[in-house]
Amino acid sequence: MTHMQDAELAALAQAGDREAFGELVARYAAPARRLARTILGDPDDADDAAQDGFLSALKHLGRFDPERPFGPWLMRIVANAAGDRRRRRRVREAQPLSPVLATHEAGPDVETDRQRFREVLRKALGGLPERQRMAVVLFDVEGYTHREIGEVLKVPEGTARSDVFHARRALREALGDWKEWREKS
Amino acid sequence: MEGKELMSHPSPFDHKPDTELGDVLRDLLTPEDEDPFVRGVVAASEHVYGEAPPVQTFSVLVEWARPGLVAAMLLLALGAFSLGIWVGRTGAVAEATLGDPLQSDMDQPSVPALMAGQEEPDWDVVLAAAWGR
Repeated sequence: MTHMQDAELAALAQAGDREAFGELVARYAAPARRLARTILGDPDDADDAAQDGFLSALKHLGRFDPERPFGPWLMRIVANAAGDRRRRRRVREAQPLSPVLATHEAGPDVETDRQRFREVLRKALGGLPERQRMAVVLFDVEGYTHREIGEVLKVPEGTARSDVFHARRALREALGDWKEWREKS
Repeated sequence: MEGKELMSHPSPFDHKPDTELGDVLRDLLTPEDEDPFVRGVVAASEHVYGEAPPVQTFSVLVEWARPGLVAAMLLLALGAFSLGIWVGRTGAVAEATLGDPLQSDMDQPSVPALMAGQEEPDWDVVLAAAWGR
């Protein structure tokens, strides 16, 4: 089934073919989970939301237009599921980053350096408005067009473009600060 | 390291995905345990399939087969048309070959005779002469 198009798999899944649905899940598990993590932060909540999204998509496969790409349609459902879950639950906040940076000691530990870089990036991403987070991840990670992102976010294409721009600028500023701080230490 | 690489692309106006920024974000957001997640979702889908019977397989296949059926019908029509021409030609040749056993070759219309005639020959005779040759 790996050679089949998304629309074919969707039709088969709608007809009750579990294997086809499984193939769709396998194809989109990573982007769906990443998008849910972008929205919710907490990995467990995000996985629950991604699963909710897949199951909701399965229920509504009849509404999917096979003439259009499956990915943005699914991502929109996943985003809705994550939003619903966020409203229902109190999302656990990430640990503040500043203490980690304050105790940083320059050294050759590459893995520690990498972990700190990830923390900086996580905090920078978490500091963005939700829509900008989603926009930059969908654009730079998933490779969707501004138009497709607009469909996922339910905003005009120009707004999606603006969201990507602002998110990129903020991320670069944060990472630039991190680089500057790292050189000083 | 990674931050330094990111700073080498200062413009946020790019209309193409920034692969470096994308890579670090992907590294940050991608979980490792994908197979258990997929299995969990597929297992949970049994509840969805159990809630409402899915649409009939036949109707979905018919939906998908519609373009194929149209193409097959067109091919069939084209094939029948071609076959008809071929059969028609074959029949004509056979008929011309067999001829009329009670008619001698001299009775067959000849082109020189038609050309030498004073009156305009009948169209059927011209065709018969052509087929006969």
